[in-house]
Amino acid sequence: MQVAIQGPWSPLFGRLTLDAIPYTNPILIATFAVAAVIGLVVVGAVLYYKKLGYLWREWLTSVDHKKIGVMYIILGLVMLFRGFADGLMIRTQQAIAIGPNSPGVMGAQHGFIPPFHFDQVYSAHGTIMILFAATPILTGLTNVVVPLQIGARDMAFPYMNALSLWLTTAGAILVMLSLFVGDFSAAGWVGLIPLTELPYSPGVGVDYWMWAIQISSIGTTLNAINMIVTIIKMRAPGMSWFRMPVFTWTTLSTNIIGLTAFPVLGAALALLTADRYFGAHFYTAGNGGNLMLYTNLFWIWGHPEVYFLVLPAFGIFSEIIPTFAEKPLFGYTTMVAATFAIAGISWAVWLHHFFTMAAGPDVNGFFSVATMLVGIPTGVKVFNWMFTLYRGRLTFTTPMLWALAGLFLLLLGGLTGMMLAIPAVNYTVHDSVFVIAHFHCMVLLIGAAMFAAVSYWWPKVFGFQLDEKNGLMFFWTFIAATIIVFIAMFALGFEGETRRLDYIYDPAWRPMLWTEEAGMLLYCVSIGYFIRMLYVSLRDRVPVPSDPWGTSRTLEFLTHSPVPFYNFAVTPQVNTRDELAWRRENGLNNVQPEAFEPIHMPSNSGIPFIIGMLSLGFGFGLIWRIWWLAGFALLGIIIAVIIRSFDKNLGYELSAEDVAAMERNLSSAGIAAEQPARTPLTEAEAH
Amino acid sequence: MSAPRTSPLDHPEVRQASAWRYIAGFVSSMVLMQAALLVTLRQHLPYQEYILTIGGLALVSLLSQAALFFGLDISRAQIWKSVSLVLTIPLFILSVGLTVWMFQSLADRTMLMPMTSVQPTLLE
Amino acid sequence: MSTDSPPATGARLFHPHFAGHDQISARTLGFWLYLLSDALVFTAVFAAYAVLNNSMGASGGPIASQVVDPVEGLWQTYAVLGSVATYSLGTVALKSGNKAGVMLGIILSIALALIFLGFEAHDLLGLLAKGDGPSRSGFLSAFFILIATHGLHMIFGIIWMLVMLVQIPTMGFTTNVVARLINLRMFWQFQATIWVLVYIYVYMIGAF
Repeated sequence: MQVAIQGPWSPLFGRLTLDAIPYTNPILIATFAVAAVIGLVVVGAVLYYKKLGYLWREWLTSVDHKKIGVMYIILGLVMLFRGFADGLMIRTQQAIAIGPNSPGVMGAQHGFIPPFHFDQVYSAHGTIMILFAATPILTGLTNVVVPLQIGARDMAFPYMNALSLWLTTAGAILVMLSLFVGDFSAAGWVGLIPLTELPYSPGVGVDYWMWAIQISSIGTTLNAINMIVTIIKMRAPGMSWFRMPVFTWTTLSTNIIGLTAFPVLGAALALLTADRYFGAHFYTAGNGGNLMLYTNLFWIWGHPEVYFLVLPAFGIFSEIIPTFAEKPLFGYTTMVAATFAIAGISWAVWLHHFFTMAAGPDVNGFFSVATMLVGIPTGVKVFNWMFTLYRGRLTFTTPMLWALAGLFLLLLGGLTGMMLAIPAVNYTVHDSVFVIAHFHCMVLLIGAAMFAAVSYWWPKVFGFQLDEKNGLMFFWTFIAATIIVFIAMFALGFEGETRRLDYIYDPAWRPMLWTEEAGMLLYCVSIGYFIRMLYVSLRDRVPVPSDPWGTSRTLEFLTHSPVPFYNFAVTPQVNTRDELAWRRENGLNNVQPEAFEPIHMPSNSGIPFIIGMLSLGFGFGLIWRIWWLAGFALLGIIIAVIIRSFDKNLGYELSAEDVAAMERNLSSAGIAAEQPARTPLTEAEAH
Repeated sequence: MSAPRTSPLDHPEVRQASAWRYIAGFVSSMVLMQAALLVTLRQHLPYQEYILTIGGLALVSLLSQAALFFGLDISRAQIWKSVSLVLTIPLFILSVGLTVWMFQSLADRTMLMPMTSVQPTLLE
Repeated sequence: MSTDSPPATGARLFHPHFAGHDQISARTLGFWLYLLSDALVFTAVFAAYAVLNNSMGASGGPIASQVVDPVEGLWQTYAVLGSVATYSLGTVALKSGNKAGVMLGIILSIALALIFLGFEAHDLLGLLAKGDGPSRSGFLSAFFILIATHGLHMIFGIIWMLVMLVQIPTMGFTTNVVARLINLRMFWQFQATIWVLVYIYVYMIGAF
């Protein structure tokens, strides 16, 4: 039933030949050289300082939610940088390739990237930014923060949590691999149909895109299950539903979306897989296929996905603004209701991504009204934040500035979104860069929330403050760059520039395109400040107390900084909403538990990492149609799961004396400390 | 975090198993399916009424499976399963229903020839 | 809010010996959520089937009434619901810790599932032999994928049952094994529920 493919195929290597390595492309050679040098430095440093064992025992096999969260965020930041490099290339190409007389280098008639390569660059930019940068960073943040906010010792399923991380990593590695082995998809991050079908995309690019998303989205779905069960089942005593911090609420709603939307994406891609691998006719233009079916299924996931990203951002604002306004959040209940209203409506708006499909006015009208309804709960949220700020005692720290800038971007992106919700307007600006500018305002508001969250919770996790001076410079350059790039882009959208252009035919757009390029250079400066901020903070390591900001309100700031790996030596009793603020007002915030008790902890496991790497092999085998590799990898995954199910290890117990010793010497329990081997319990001892 | 010190066999999820419920679930589902098959084979109803009848039978069968086989109720042990199911059901209806609606609209407006159908389907 | 809280004197700040969560409840809820997400996968496939199940989608090839047999489908329904019933009755034996009873239920359940899969394989291979495979038309693609997705779930369920047949005698009814047995019951019942929907929508409405 295997379909005919172009080019050579051998049983041993599938479609893989030496030609798949792009050794003639100078950009990729340079990229490879840089990646190789960084890789060698990292591996060399690990070996030189003899940290391989530490890395394996304390990180790669870790089931600690904080370490998994940190690894998620590192993965996301690396991919964010890759996605930014793609964005820089797109903007630079458009700044050069203007008009018929524009220069062309490196095989391109105009600019420096030939069209087929340019298509891959924007496809990779979108895929990476949404799925491999924003999603892992936000997942990482919820992983770190939520168990602490609800006073839990870990996630409900620590082992599955590690599995989620390594599946997402496998997907990210596939995307990176497509740079150096073969091509990436040239069909846009949404997978424009029928361009993704085998006759029109005969290479492996679409397969890379498809399997990378498929594998990582399984990880996201598992994480969603884990998070929902954690929030429902693992709250500390006294933490009733309406005492939960708003970030925990938004995490719950976002993961309900993740749980239900990602399977639809999986199904949409699986049907595309059937088309490409078995010659099925789901989305083909002929033989009874229906190409709008793909667009429909993709956006059934795609729209909830953007709320999947934005709701945690709203949660972050709802934590940071009260802390730095020194007031409780205004309208807590309406905030929770608005969160769930947004999540609910997100399931009935997806057609606004293809108003121009030619559905009737009644259908377009329904989805238009549903889309505008989202504005109501979002407006409620904005007003709640504003009333929280009103007559507050404001401190403009870096996290607070990021949050306020995020509100501004939300206003800009949200109001242009309301314009796009009107089908008549949408017909005019559809597929123009106006749409691009709109959703970049939205995703950059998510970006602002991510940086706000990183600077807000960093001292909590690592036990030292991020450098404020460089942090502020990073903030101002980044926000200025955002405004320069996207205000110019809104203008270009109204002037009629369509998206995904590798050649600019109207020289009248040159001033605005050059303005955008200037903004991009400012972004480069801001990355410099970001790196410097990390360097200075790591060098100085100014230690912080358990509540580094002095005005925090929620439970995660009750335990020590850095957070011990067991989170809370004794589970706290929650008495009210904003527990820490209440304890501080009553002078109870420094009260320590009187006696310690043994703590049961899960043991580390290498199996999630192994399954992640096997699924990487599975994906790679299918992409290159190396059937034996895919088959053995799948078999390996099944066997690994079965082996794990026979594991009798029930975790280990920390004695009360150990806990007391670690509470006296906090650095011995922090995130960077290495733990001694501890003997696991067996079933007999547990009963 | 520690495992409950009682035997896992005393857990409510284990205790809820009940022979009569499972047998009743099996019998009711099979009776309903056979009734649906009978309606289908006799072919005496118009399409719309047929869809309503058979959809109703399917709904009753699903409810009986949820209550008798899955054992869903509002007790402490089962409440979260029931709540999550109730919250998810609208999504099933929205995604299939709105999809069918928009493709029906699309077909009416874009297909040059009317669909020469041999057999009615939900889309037509 | 903080201002209207009770005075701090005597307030309890820590909760030593907090028992934490109950493993079996957490695992069954987690697994139930997985089933809901799996249901969304089927929802998407059903939506695809609904879009492609018409004369345009059939593209001149066979239509639903030519490929399904609702009477044969009834036997499959007997097999799959019977399989669920035997497994579930096995879990009644679990209440008294009766290993033989649980294992007998599982073995009967596997046998009935194999009968079900036999019918299904016979149907699909017959269509393939006639040249009406998934590459014939959009409608047949949807039909094959819908049936095969369900069949694959059944195969994974059988593998899981085989693992449990080893674990029950070797490990006994530990917390882990009991949680797996309960999750497997939900998984298995879920396949039957999906089958009922497939039977009604594809086999009966298709044959009307």
